[in-house]
Parts: sequence; C-alpha cells; structure tokens
Amino acid sequence: MFLPSNYEFFCRVKINSGNRALDHLPFELDTLNARKPLVITKKSATERGLTDIISDAFRDSGITIGIFDGVPSVPDVALIRELYSLYRDRGYDAVISLGGDAVADTAKVLNIAVSGEPEDLERCAGDDLMEKPLKPFIMIPTLSGSGYETSRYAFFAGRAYASHFLMPDIAVIDPRMCIAEDMMTAAASSLVALTHSVEAYVSPGKNPLTDGYTFPAIRFVMENMLNVIKNPRDKKGCLALVNAHCMAGCAFSNIEAGIAHTLGKLIGDASHVPHGICMGILLPHALELQLSGDGGHIGDLLLPLAGFDVYAETPEEQRPQKAVTVLYDLQRDLYSASGGAIARTLEGVNVQKELLQDIARKSLGHSSGGADMHNCLKILERAWEGR
Amino acid sequence: MELPKYYEFCCRVKIIAGHDALEKIPGILASLRAERPMIITDKGVSGAGLINIVADAIKDSVTIMAIADDVPPDSDLRVVNRLAHVYREKGCDSLIAVGGGSVMDTAKGINIVVSEKADDLMKFSGANALKRPLKPLIAIPTTAGTGSEVTLVAVIKDHEKHLKMCFVSYFLLPDVSIVDSRMTLSLPPAITAATGMDALSHAVEAYTCLAKNPLSDAHALAAINLISENLVKVTKNPNDRNGRLAMASAATLAGIAFSNSMVGMVHTLGQSVGAVCGVPHGMCMAILLPYGLEYNVHKNGHFTAELLLPLSGAEVYAGIPKEQRAEEVIASIRRMNQDLHDVTGGRYARYFGEVVDRDGMQMIPKEMLPDVAKSALGDGSIFYNPEEMDYDDFLMVLEAAWEGKSLDTNRIKKG
Repeated sequence: MFLPSNYEFFCRVKINSGNRALDHLPFELDTLNARKPLVITKKSATERGLTDIISDAFRDSGITIGIFDGVPSVPDVALIRELYSLYRDRGYDAVISLGGDAVADTAKVLNIAVSGEPEDLERCAGDDLMEKPLKPFIMIPTLSGSGYETSRYAFFAGRAYASHFLMPDIAVIDPRMCIAEDMMTAAASSLVALTHSVEAYVSPGKNPLTDGYTFPAIRFVMENMLNVIKNPRDKKGCLALVNAHCMAGCAFSNIEAGIAHTLGKLIGDASHVPHGICMGILLPHALELQLSGDGGHIGDLLLPLAGFDVYAETPEEQRPQKAVTVLYDLQRDLYSASGGAIARTLEGVNVQKELLQDIARKSLGHSSGGADMHNCLKILERAWEGR
Repeated sequence: MELPKYYEFCCRVKIIAGHDALEKIPGILASLRAERPMIITDKGVSGAGLINIVADAIKDSVTIMAIADDVPPDSDLRVVNRLAHVYREKGCDSLIAVGGGSVMDTAKGINIVVSEKADDLMKFSGANALKRPLKPLIAIPTTAGTGSEVTLVAVIKDHEKHLKMCFVSYFLLPDVSIVDSRMTLSLPPAITAATGMDALSHAVEAYTCLAKNPLSDAHALAAINLISENLVKVTKNPNDRNGRLAMASAATLAGIAFSNSMVGMVHTLGQSVGAVCGVPHGMCMAILLPYGLEYNVHKNGHFTAELLLPLSGAEVYAGIPKEQRAEEVIASIRRMNQDLHDVTGGRYARYFGEVVDRDGMQMIPKEMLPDVAKSALGDGSIFYNPEEMDYDDFLMVLEAAWEGKSLDTNRIKKG
C-alpha cells in the first residue's frame, strides 16, 4: 500500500448520517455549547416542507430557532450585512445551513462575519487567513448542492476563501432532506464529488487518511449514481450520494486539485455549463492520458471504482486500463439513462471548439496535477470529440 | 459498500506523520497560539531517549517549561492533580503527551483540570460534560498500537475512593497527533509484534462488528493492509524506518476506525485478561483475534471474507472461492501469530498458556480463566459483538485460546 514519507491530514467535520439524524440537532448544538441557532436556506426549501422538518426536530427541546429562507441563487454582500445584523440583534449563537451551493457559501461567509466583524470578509479572503475557529456551524446537505459544501472553500461575491475553519463542525445527513430535486443538479454535484475523489485517490499527494474518505465516496457514487438518475426517488441511493458529497469535500480540502477539476471549472465558467458536468466529461480522458506514464495509482483506483471482486480478478497490469474503461462505461450509462441530458462530450454541451486553446492556456496558472499546456489541450480535444 | 441506517463519524485530530514530523511542533504550537508547553510522559519513554529526540526537535524555537516523566502505568487522580499543579506553577499554556494509553489519559485529565480550573474532576465525567475547547494538546504516540492519540475518551482512576472516572467528549481529542517513525524505532521485537496485532484487532473488529460504517470501514481496510504488509517485516528488522512509519500510521488509522465503530468480544475479553492477569493488552488481543472471528463467523462471515483482500492480496483473494474466504482470513491471522512467534525467538506468545513473565512464570494460570470470564460479563463493550455471549461462552473461548486450539463450532450459539 502506498505510504508517503511525510503527510498531513485534517478534517474537523463530524458526519451524522441516517434515519432521523436531524432529531439529534438539539443535542449536537449542546455539545457545541450553542442554544440559539439561525437556520439559513432558500425559499424552495420552505416550499418543499424541509424547514418544517427542522422545526419539528426542535419542538420539545426548549430551543427557539430562527429561520431565514431568503438566500437567492446569487447572493451579495448586502445579504451578509442583513444576516449579520439579524444574528447579532437577536442573539443567535450558531449557524445551520440547509441546502447547498449558494446557501452553504452564504453560511460560511456569514460565520466569518459573526465570529469577528463584517470587515473580516475582506481581510479573510484568500488562503488560510483565519487564525481561530469560528462560531458553531452545522450543515444539512441536500442533493441540490454543488458537491463542495463540506470543503474548506467558499466562493462569495467574487471572493474566494480557503480555511479549515470554514468546514462545518457537523454535517447532518438526513434521508428526508436528500431526495433529488432536480436531476441535473444531482448529477453535476455527484460528478464533482466523483472527480474530486478519483483525482485525490490517484494523486501523488495522497495518503491513507485521504483514502479513508475518497474510498467510500467513490464506492457510493459508483454504486448509486446511475440508480438515482434512473429513479430520483431512490431514497437509499440519494442518501449514499449525499454521503459521498460530504466525504469528497473533506478529502478535497486536504489535497491539491487535479487536472479534470481545473479544466472542468474553467470550461464551466467560460461556457455556463455546470462544473460537475464538465468534470465528468473530462475525468476519464484526464486519467487515460496519465496511463502513458507509469500509471501511478490508477491501477489501485480500480478497487473503489469496481469493487473487491473485479479488482482481484483483473490482472495487475490490466487494472489501470480497466479503471479508465469503467469510467467511460459510467459516462455512457449516465448518458443513456438521462436521455442524453448528461452529456458525454464537450461538443455535446455546446462548448465552442475555439475555446479549448484558450482554456488550456488559462489552466497554466492553476493546479493541474503536473499536466502541461500541451497535455491539457490534448485532454480537452479528446473530451470535445469524445474519442 | 454498507450504508448503515444511522452512523456517526468524527476525527477532529489533525494528523501529521513522517520521519521528521516532530520538527513541525513549533509551527503547530504557534498555530494553536501556544508557546510554553509542558511535556507529559513516563519513565519508559524518557529512558528510551525519546524525550531527548522530541526536545532536540523543538528546543531551538520553543521553551519547554516542564517535563514530567513520572506518569505510572496505572495513573490516577493524584498524578493528574499533582501534574496540573506543576503546569500552573510553571506557567505552561499547552500540553505535549508522549507515550501510550496511560500517558494520554493523564494528559487529558490534566487538561480538564487546568482548562476548567476544576477542583473536582468528577463534575466533568460522563459523556459530553465538557462544553468548550480545552488548552492545546499535542499527542505523540510511542507504541504503534493503542490508537489513544485519536480517541475522545479518558479514563482516570481515583485509587483513594476506588472509583474509575470516564470522560467522553470531542473536546478531549488532541488538537494534533504527531506520528513520527523515530518514536517507535527502539521498540523491542516482541512488543512491536504485540502492539501491531493490537492495532490489527482494532481494525478487524471495527470492520466486522455491529457499529461499522463506511468511513470506519475505509480506515480499517487501510490499517489492515499496512499491517499485513509491514508487521512481520518490521518485527524481523526493527530499523526499517518506512516499516515503522507504516505501522505507526496503521495504529492511528485503526484507532480512528474503532473509536468510530466500537469493537467486540476480542476487546472485551482482551481487557478482562489484561485486568485480571496483568498481561499486556496487545498480547491478549492478538491471541484472541482469530477466536473472535471464529465465534462470530456465522453472523459476519461475509465481512470477514472481504478482509482477505487487504490481508493476503488480490491473487490469494481471487484464487479462493467466496465461501472459503472467511476461513482463510482466520487461518492467515493464525499464521501471522505463528510467524511473529518465530521471528521473536518465541517471545511473542501464540496462546494464553504460553504467556510468561520475565522469570519464565506462567502469567495466565488456567484456574484464573473463570475469573476472567466473570470480569468480562461486566464489560459493556460486548454490546456491539455480532453474536451474544454469556459466561459459558466467554469461558469456552478463553479455554480454547489458552490451549491454542480452534473453537468447537458445535458449541457456538447460533442466535
């Protein structure tokens, strides 16, 4: 088993997952020494009855919760100012985010403000600029997120934040919250989780503790994603996928991003296609290009991708190629199960071929897992055509 | 992969591992905003020169305010209070615990006293009685076995009142654990073998007992893989630094796995043998491990079978039919015990009847087994064992493990 001669790992997130997990919220808040949480979410969560479930969890607890359900899809600093005042004036002492993406980012950034002062939003933007733990922060993820929720990253109003203190103290994964609202969002976020986990699993910077999170994350996506796309009401599958999202976020916070992540993000931003869809298209191509070298850990990847039996039955020298094939198979299956909605090629999501050169050039300034511009362009071109 | 109806997983400890991880302590202390650490350890650790290594690694940039190297193997409240007094007197602001379970527990106890200004530790005993972060605590394990550098529990005895206080809180987790290969480099072969098998039992029970979950599973698989690839090798060749790092990493992984999944009968009986007969914990666990798997195999054989992959590799796994894999796992753990016995020149015991003290006296007389079984009855950890166990079942397992014979499958409950 691969063991680097030096490594570090840190994940402060406690994961509570399963039936009626939300009912433990009053107890969990108590362990964090908090007793007046502010729940923040989107209107749609209230419309779908999700905030009621949270209120119910607190019914006999003697705890009064605040609920703010007005987070828009593109929140701005004015919203943080509003929430900051609300939090301070009403004496809240913890933030609970219900739902992902913009809601999670808003919660993270709000927590920076209420743990210090609103000016910290400017001061703390960047890498590792927070010096001490923030106020208690609990996250209730859904399947309508970005796949980044539990990570140490936040993106808000044009600023990027990175700190282990932004990770939630607890992620409460309750099946009542995990039903897929929208197939494409569920697919994109799950492909973000898969890409992050796979690229972490084959990264030279990996260690046994990152494997501790990426292994189950990859397993869960491989075992459940297709089922959920076919049947969004697959409760157990949805729960497993949200688990995978949380685990992937934890691992992603401990390792440099890979090339499929970087290119997927750049294309997504340039062409307004969800990042996860782009990453999912790029992932097998990015791995395939690495096969020409010594293959690194790609052979080992077959274990979480395909399970114990397939791994053991595949001769060692064939495992790297087999791992890549398994990912192409997933791509093909998702494409047909979604009636073509989950595209297999960049052409399929209407990315202009002329854009590729530009993206490859841009990737140079980012973490690219050792790939140079020439290789980036090769990955992009192959992913564009699907060859 | 199994997704239980409900599970929790948490390891808030930052892990820093490597051949020169100790050198990172000054930076870690600075990030925890501390600069005046007190080192807590025991005579064995300091006698082996390990505190010198730690001190050398940090003394250029950090002043060590106090070194207490007299934590006894059976530490208690008096020790905790005495050392808390030293901590305050010397104006310390953080703790560095270097050692095994007793040292870690003592350091956690001191931390409660100095952080909460507690004169009565009892007030904070039980689950979740602590409500806020304590002073910075850095844990440096020296045994590659217990995993207590990543657990949220501390047990402090009060010998005067004959009490055992148990503390459970996430605030008891060390802030950082430093896994440095130099800390285990001087472990003698027999202890290397026993502590390594202790870690293996943690991981195997985590994977096969009732409270397993996907994250504890993945940590357990990694631990088992590292142990099977390195333990016999390192026991044979103690100066293998990479092997030492692998074993220390495995112990930490196994500690994370079992403290998030609970354990089963191997742990229950291992504790009881240790307590009643004064035998090192790791050795009891190693001897009992194959019996635990055998006893439960009709309940959890499908999980046990999967362990053949990390234990014996892909070729062996693929070459053995599914229904025979669990049996092969048990056999291969027995072979590991035999190999360790051989490479330690017989110092590592294969069964209880073979465990002797320094003077060659048997440490577990057969007559004591009923007492051990009685003691096990009072241990709550049996709750997560897949199959139920009463006094007769405990005794049956102990007697087989005393002689080194396989269990008589006809006598096992099939509940």
